[in-house]
Amino acid sequence: MSTEHDPGAAPGLFQIEEPDAGAPKRRAAGLGIGIDLGTTHSLVAIAPHGAPPRVLEDEAGRALLPSVVAYVTDPPRVGAEALALQVEHPDRVLSSVKRFMGRAPSDIDEPIPYALGERPGDDGRVVRFDVGGRLVTPAEVSARILEVLVARAETALGAKPDGAVITVPAYFDEAQRKATKDAARIAGIEVYRLLAEPTAAALAYGLDRSEQGVFVVFDLGGGTFDVSVLRLDKGVFQVLATAGDTHLGGDDFDRVLAEHLLRAAKVETPSKHVRAEALAAARAVKHALTTQPVAAATLPRAGLEGFEVTREAFEAMIRPVLGRLRAPARRALADAGVEKDEIDGVVLVGGATRVPAVKRLAERLFGRPPLDDIDPDQVVAQGAAIQADILSGNPREGVTLLDVVPLSLGVETMGGLVETIVPRNAPIPIRARQVFTNYSEEQTGMTIHVVQGEREMAADCRSLARFELSGIPRLPPSMARVEVSFQVDADGLLTVTARELMTGVSQTVEVKPTYGLSDDEVERLVLDSLDHADEDFEARDRAEARVELDRVCTAVRRALAADGDDAALLPPDERRAVAAALEEAAAALGDPARPAGELRRLRERLEAESEPFARRRMERALAERMAGRRVAEVERAVGDAKALDERRGGHHPTMTPPAPATE
Amino acid sequence: MDDPFAILGLPRSADLGRADVDRAYFAALEAAHPDKVAGGDEAARRRAELAAARINEAYRALRTPVGRLETLCRLGGIDLDSSDPKRGAPMPDTAFLTEMIERREAIEAARRAGAGALEDLRDAVEDEADEAVAQARRALAGGDVAAAARALVRRRYLARLLDEIEEAMS
Ligand SMILES: Nc1ncnc2c1ncn2[C@@H]1O[C@H](COP(=O)(O)OP(=O)(O)O)[C@@H](O)[C@H]1O
Ligand SMILES: [Mg+2]
Repeated sequence: MSTEHDPGAAPGLFQIEEPDAGAPKRRAAGLGIGIDLGTTHSLVAIAPHGAPPRVLEDEAGRALLPSVVAYVTDPPRVGAEALALQVEHPDRVLSSVKRFMGRAPSDIDEPIPYALGERPGDDGRVVRFDVGGRLVTPAEVSARILEVLVARAETALGAKPDGAVITVPAYFDEAQRKATKDAARIAGIEVYRLLAEPTAAALAYGLDRSEQGVFVVFDLGGGTFDVSVLRLDKGVFQVLATAGDTHLGGDDFDRVLAEHLLRAAKVETPSKHVRAEALAAARAVKHALTTQPVAAATLPRAGLEGFEVTREAFEAMIRPVLGRLRAPARRALADAGVEKDEIDGVVLVGGATRVPAVKRLAERLFGRPPLDDIDPDQVVAQGAAIQADILSGNPREGVTLLDVVPLSLGVETMGGLVETIVPRNAPIPIRARQVFTNYSEEQTGMTIHVVQGEREMAADCRSLARFELSGIPRLPPSMARVEVSFQVDADGLLTVTARELMTGVSQTVEVKPTYGLSDDEVERLVLDSLDHADEDFEARDRAEARVELDRVCTAVRRALAADGDDAALLPPDERRAVAAALEEAAAALGDPARPAGELRRLRERLEAESEPFARRRMERALAERMAGRRVAEVERAVGDAKALDERRGGHHPTMTPPAPATE
Repeated sequence: MDDPFAILGLPRSADLGRADVDRAYFAALEAAHPDKVAGGDEAARRRAELAAARINEAYRALRTPVGRLETLCRLGGIDLDSSDPKRGAPMPDTAFLTEMIERREAIEAARRAGAGALEDLRDAVEDEADEAVAQARRALAGGDVAAAARALVRRRYLARLLDEIEEAMS
């Protein structure tokens, strides 16, 4: 396939196509919500009917929901309670899954801390985490997080949210954006728009102060880095350029520091538990070093006690990671055509910009002290809420957001070279087309390979889709005319069509994404979660919570009756705590008006209090059964334990597979 | 293809500045941006998306001085992105092509001679590219589209050379 621009072709490109089907759906003004679906934390905010944005908190007053899902119980737990299970169940508690959104296993060039599985037909294109035999995709995990946030918003709004603006790193590619949309579909929330995180931050920031001029948004989160240059002018927010790295963030500091701690503890091949512990300790030390010059780490499992790390040593350790922030920053300025001294302000976003060395670097890169007076954790969600309110049908006077394509889009041509069709930083929505010709008379088909990235060779870019266009007439070289048109919508999502112009036969080809879930599978997952939804959601929710609490009460009572007097299994103070939790739970079960949330909290408390007891019982039972038995019997015992476990709601303390000594 | 000047409501002129183009672009989008009809039905949103795409494409063509000049050439009948012998980009003369080849080789020599030599080379090429743009502007003002197109083709070669020099410097 060779390429040539054809000035005369296709007058009809901009003809308006009417939507194929579906009654026009109007949006519900004021019921739009803004979601910052972060690698580390997620938030939800609302700004109904032009109100100032407000970040929503959970019942305990926490705005940040850790982006962590624990597949230890069914249904899985989300947020802080999931995080609390991480050291105990490193295999079943999934965190930072945003790093895996829209990726294939082969794309991931970092150690994956989870077991992966495969379904027939995956062909290595989909990441599936194996959590105790159950396979879940990053989109499903993200859907669980979205559900919690949507429920939080529903409580605040007093009505079901109509749609959401979900933020994504500006530098997310097509496949990553598609996976984010899939997650929303699975969670049952309509996506008004995927919005670039730095753009959202600028929106919140700029509106707040009605700023004018050129601003840089420097966003370093847990796993992604984005730097965007925007121009703010009388309510127009124009993204001039954006650059970044989707595999760079505060988590990388944790990893470097964790390795340092493990070396200090002389652990060469850490188990998963030890690694999880080291990472958690590293993060705590990193946070402490933001405000103090020295911090100490203790890793009980690795046998490290009060090990001191100075800020200076930490900064030396992370220098290579910091170095990776420079190139994207320079590229964004160059692409925007902006010199350092034309910048009117630098806005810091993302928790990792609290690290003093990061602040200093930002100051050096942009030649001025950064503004960090707006909470860097909340500003993205606030901007998303403003945009969601606008998109729900409340246009705000004088706010127009002009976003761009983060990475060039093109097709592979002869010799594996990329022909760019939409260059990076082109404003969206946009359509562009290119006419390609045949290279020989024999050629009656064309493979159209759509790629994204800045490299010259297609093999070095990200492959987005590949499809065949057949039925090209036999024509002398360079006489056939195939027009490939790219349409990038306001979400930054791409549609590709191709048609043969000489014969007038236009073939519109549906593009199958190279990565991610098939539409069928997303549909199935949507249906799965619809099964859980119901008109009478509340009553059902309460009934379920009641059944669950009852189940746990029964199990605990039975265990107490059997072994409650054995102090080796249940020390007296633990016993008192369990009994108290049990009594409260029983009282709640006797009161039909108790809300689901309270029933759940009581169950969680009872589970937490009785967990050590249950674990010790199970350990003893296993030890007894295994002593002196043959392998086959041991296996059966394990099987029994599993069944028992399932009855207990998937709690699995002793059965986590021995950590393979990898990495 | 449509006339980007008309889409943005601008006169066909080489003398527009970036501020003129931006102002026209924002005004056009103010009315057409998909967000303005977000509360409307699907068809209205679709129409707005298409209109916005068209405005964005026009803006992309006109936002740089070179883009404006190249667009004026295209509207005058010469498309620099086409290799069509009659309506496409004119071939530069042999002397210019030979010179370009020699200068490409000079990059290597300059690199060996040290950073200062590369910078001198870059500055010289930059000046020539600017001069080619000025020539094109004059030619268009005098109605000579063919001469403008020749100057703009030279500028494209010089721009590519600049990229190579900058690569050698980094
Ligand atoms: N006080 C702090 N000092 C240093 N790093 C911090 C601090 N608070 C948060 N972080 C780091 O910021 C990152 C999370 O930032 P966040 O903006 O929540 O990320 P994301 O948007 O990716 O979810 C984590 O790596 C976390 O350790
Ligand atoms: Mg973030």
